[in-house]
Amino acid sequence: MPIEDDQRREEEELQDEAAVSGEETPEIAVAPARASGNGDPYVAEDGAVMGRDFVIPGVDPAEHDPYKFHTGRKRDHGGTDAIEIVDLVKQFGRARILNGLNLGLPEDQVSMVLGPSGTGKSVLIKHIVGLLYPDSGDVLVHGESIPNMTDDELFEVRKKFGLLFQDGALFGSMNIYDNVAFPLRQHTDKGEEEIGEIVNRRLKEVGLSEATYKMPNELSGGMRKRAGFARALVLEPAIVMFDEPDSGLDPVRTALLCELIREVHAENGGCYLVISHDLGTARRIADFIAVLWSGKIVESGPKEEVFDSSNPFVSQFLHADVSGPLSMD
Amino acid sequence: MNAWLEVPRGWLDSLGEIARFGGRVMGIVYSGRVLRFFGESLRQAGILILGSALIIWGLVFVLGLQCGIEGAYLLRAQGAPAYAGLFSAWCDLREILPYAFGYMLAAKVGTGIVAELGAMRISDEIDALEVMGVPPVTFLCATRLLAAWIAFPFMYLVGIGVMYLASYIAVVEQIGDVSSGGYLLIFWQFQNPPDLIFSLIKGMVMATVIVMVGCYYGYTASGGPVGVGTATAKSMVFNIVMVHIVGMLGTLIFWGANPRAPIGG
Repeated sequence: MPIEDDQRREEEELQDEAAVSGEETPEIAVAPARASGNGDPYVAEDGAVMGRDFVIPGVDPAEHDPYKFHTGRKRDHGGTDAIEIVDLVKQFGRARILNGLNLGLPEDQVSMVLGPSGTGKSVLIKHIVGLLYPDSGDVLVHGESIPNMTDDELFEVRKKFGLLFQDGALFGSMNIYDNVAFPLRQHTDKGEEEIGEIVNRRLKEVGLSEATYKMPNELSGGMRKRAGFARALVLEPAIVMFDEPDSGLDPVRTALLCELIREVHAENGGCYLVISHDLGTARRIADFIAVLWSGKIVESGPKEEVFDSSNPFVSQFLHADVSGPLSMD
Repeated sequence: MNAWLEVPRGWLDSLGEIARFGGRVMGIVYSGRVLRFFGESLRQAGILILGSALIIWGLVFVLGLQCGIEGAYLLRAQGAPAYAGLFSAWCDLREILPYAFGYMLAAKVGTGIVAELGAMRISDEIDALEVMGVPPVTFLCATRLLAAWIAFPFMYLVGIGVMYLASYIAVVEQIGDVSSGGYLLIFWQFQNPPDLIFSLIKGMVMATVIVMVGCYYGYTASGGPVGVGTATAKSMVFNIVMVHIVGMLGTLIFWGANPRAPIGG
């Protein structure tokens, strides 16, 4: 029951956020009646009909084939998947944000999920860490199903994760040192001296040695992100996720943060997932890229191959072309 | 007709949600799971005592003076100034102190909790806790409830002493219609140890409700800063209503059938 409470609250919050940011459910045009069947883009696996039972933001239900560019092609990345997303469906009210998303994120690589604003990238991250529960489908982390875990199992498996939120999500009542030390104090038996060594090393790595005892509200946006990064790394998690690490940063600081992510990944390894819509960030740090649109992955694969893709949507998005299937609508 | 029913239905919905949330938090405290964060509970108890004790004691001192003054003049008008202690005893212990305590907690502690947790919610701090494997309801709400149960009995009992002192000063030292011994004889005749326990129970039930309501509205806040403001206002309204309901039920249950007034032999 507690999980249901939190899930409902999360959903209400996301709907509120969508309303505030103007990402409202588009005008509903009822699609022409079509026969149900496999592969029909208008009829979901659960029998729901687009236009009548749900809408997908950015997709006109009257469009003949909204998934014509979604080959779902997954190019070989030459490794194993740390995270597998299987037929993930998530709907808030009538707005279906994820509509049968399938994705595998490789171990020991920096993956990046790219996509236009409002396509559900953050919703995807929240499913991976168990902050949201899917309407259907599954999320597997190292083979374990996140939605089917009990609260206690979930809190345990979350020790594998480090997540950098958009604004760092530092605790406002603690200074930077205590923020970074918090996971160590909660989850380890280390003494204060050892904790101090680890925290100072992490803060030095992210260039915040001078800001150790400052409060979060005394830091710039970039510094808060770096402090959040230090906190996300402090337990040496196997999986680290970054929700738009470049948002609100100038190009130089974005480049420096990307460099830092690459350096830390080279040192620690693990599965890193970066959510963004910034192409510069993708070119700098990604090994593996997935392009998300209309609730499904259009294509995914190693960076060079995806950047060279002939798929009109992928090509337009990754080269920022004005002409192509993606428009202001 | 349906539109008229929506408002009370909404209130009942909220009441049910708060009761369920409160039950969950109390379950965490009773099961001892909150003890994993006992340090945080002690920190919160310290914040409550340092941040609220003097304000509450100051308020009840003023109200104790008022109870004394009102009682002294009322009973002088009835030709029984020696019985001013009766008014003070009942006014202080049974009614005014629990209400003053409830009002001040609702205004300072309850709204403070909503604002703090609400701000944490909208800045993703609660999600961050969850992702770090720290159960947020236990860490943020159960610790605050335990802190309230540690700090408030102490603050309440000291508050009783402060109020008694204020009433004594008003009746005996300021107005002076009755001697110190005469005042204290009547004052202590009209109360006994169970009254103290009942008053404490009233105050602690109010405090528990206020902390739970604050935690609920803060934890579930959404819609940015405006949403946090709205949640704070809602919690204040809800708490004030609940303070009066608890106060009324407490008086009915503890003194409704037997006022324990030694009058007429």
